[in-house]
Amino acid sequence: MQARRKPAPQKQATRATKRISKQPAKRTAKQALKKAITIEKKRVTLHINKEDYELFIYPHRTLGEVLRDELHLTGTKQSCNEGACGTCTVLLDGAPVRSCLLLAVDVEGKEITTIEGLADNGKLHPIQEAFVEHYAIQCGFCTPGMILTAKALLDKNPHPTEEEIRNAISGNICRCTGYSKIVEAIKAASERGR
Amino acid sequence: MNLPRFEFLSPTTIKETLLLMSGYKEKLRVLAGGTEITGRLKHRLVTPTYILSLKRVHGLTGITQKKSEVVIGATTTLSEIADSQLIASLFTSVSEASRRVAAPAIRNVATVAGNLLQESRCLYYNQSELPRNGLGPCYKVGGETCHAVKGSKRCFSVYQGDLAPALIAVGAQARVQKTGSFRTVPVEDLFTDKGTNPIGLARNELLTEIMLPIRKGRSASAYQKFTLRGSIEYPLASAAVFLQEEKGGMIEEVRIVLGAAGPSPKLPEDAAKAILGKRPQDVKTTDVQQAVSLAAKAMEAVDNLMLPSSYRRRLAAVMTKRALEEALRSLREVGHAS
Repeated sequence: MQARRKPAPQKQATRATKRISKQPAKRTAKQALKKAITIEKKRVTLHINKEDYELFIYPHRTLGEVLRDELHLTGTKQSCNEGACGTCTVLLDGAPVRSCLLLAVDVEGKEITTIEGLADNGKLHPIQEAFVEHYAIQCGFCTPGMILTAKALLDKNPHPTEEEIRNAISGNICRCTGYSKIVEAIKAASERGR
Repeated sequence: MNLPRFEFLSPTTIKETLLLMSGYKEKLRVLAGGTEITGRLKHRLVTPTYILSLKRVHGLTGITQKKSEVVIGATTTLSEIADSQLIASLFTSVSEASRRVAAPAIRNVATVAGNLLQESRCLYYNQSELPRNGLGPCYKVGGETCHAVKGSKRCFSVYQGDLAPALIAVGAQARVQKTGSFRTVPVEDLFTDKGTNPIGLARNELLTEIMLPIRKGRSASAYQKFTLRGSIEYPLASAAVFLQEEKGGMIEEVRIVLGAAGPSPKLPEDAAKAILGKRPQDVKTTDVQQAVSLAAKAMEAVDNLMLPSSYRRRLAAVMTKRALEEALRSLREVGHAS
């Protein structure tokens, strides 16, 4: 990982596409063969939890991998790695998404929120407090995804019905099957007016 | 599972995208939302040299109402479609289908074109590299055998997209562009009905828009899907129905589409003879039953998904019946037109 303070304007990505676009299709296919041998790292600036991180990463790295392995933001969990379980949920411009299915190079310019970004100066977010108070955590592996999904729901709909809550977390699997407590916690957080 | 290595392209205009696609052809795969292809990349079911992301391409997203049609941009997310009041009021089946895809977090990223142009699936094909290689290559990966139907001469993989049946039912058209030209085809013509290569688009062609015609007079549509779990599931059987009334109140058009019924969605013709020309109030249970049993014959099921084929065939009939009854119900409701 290499984190720097301020990003320079992105040159590499545009250069590659511009050069190809100016030339006829036949030549670009030849270039493709040549270029395939040397896949380069790309410079990207990710806006995570209100901070800018400048990184050099290979294009095939997913956002989840970059968060955990490069930035050591290990609050985001990885489990099934193919979009089925929801443990790797992060917020992209406020909406829950699967970080295992997104390329890190593809989310540049978006606002990313991970579970680390919720607490304010060590004070837990009301949803986190509600999860603690209502014993909505068993093994804790699904919890970051659940809390972020709940946050996105309550930001959009501050007073959801139980059905809306269940629908919102329908993509997050809790293998301890503690769904009732999770629903209770989200409801409590909404009643508290967040 | 890690992704295989590839070069990443992120053009900003449609023109540039088409140029790259026609230049790289087989070496390039397009990533719209990425929720389907990422899984296939991780399983090494596809190993392109280039991945082209459509996320930064301008002019491919949004839902707009025109005089006689509603246009959905190719990279419009399923959440946008599910939340759209316009789609919900005019095309119940499309709205319902987009609401039933996977889970909210996937719908926030997955796009309409990506859902439509997804690959067909099979238990023997959609698994990670090691067990798949242990079985030996099947037709779908370029081999000469089918593990689901021993001794068969073709691939039986199943197209399990949710939006395709719903869009075909309402008569949607797709606009397909390539450098220098474009063509407009009915959505059903995007499919080849071949398990090995279910999508009938050339490698240099890009689906840019989907047009849903706004019909005059009263119409109704419905979508039904069977899954084992409530979410994050492909349909094991699904059906979409569209009914159109003429001025006199008789049903003049019936379109029944079956999903998860073979390598492409099935649009059985003449299945609804018993319903045509009748008022919705006059359609009897036996008429519905006759239409359903005729339509369900189009279902092509072999043992290559989670449930046995015999059971899936019966499910297809049940889903068709539910969708047909739902559409008839909304036509019977006074003043309702969707």
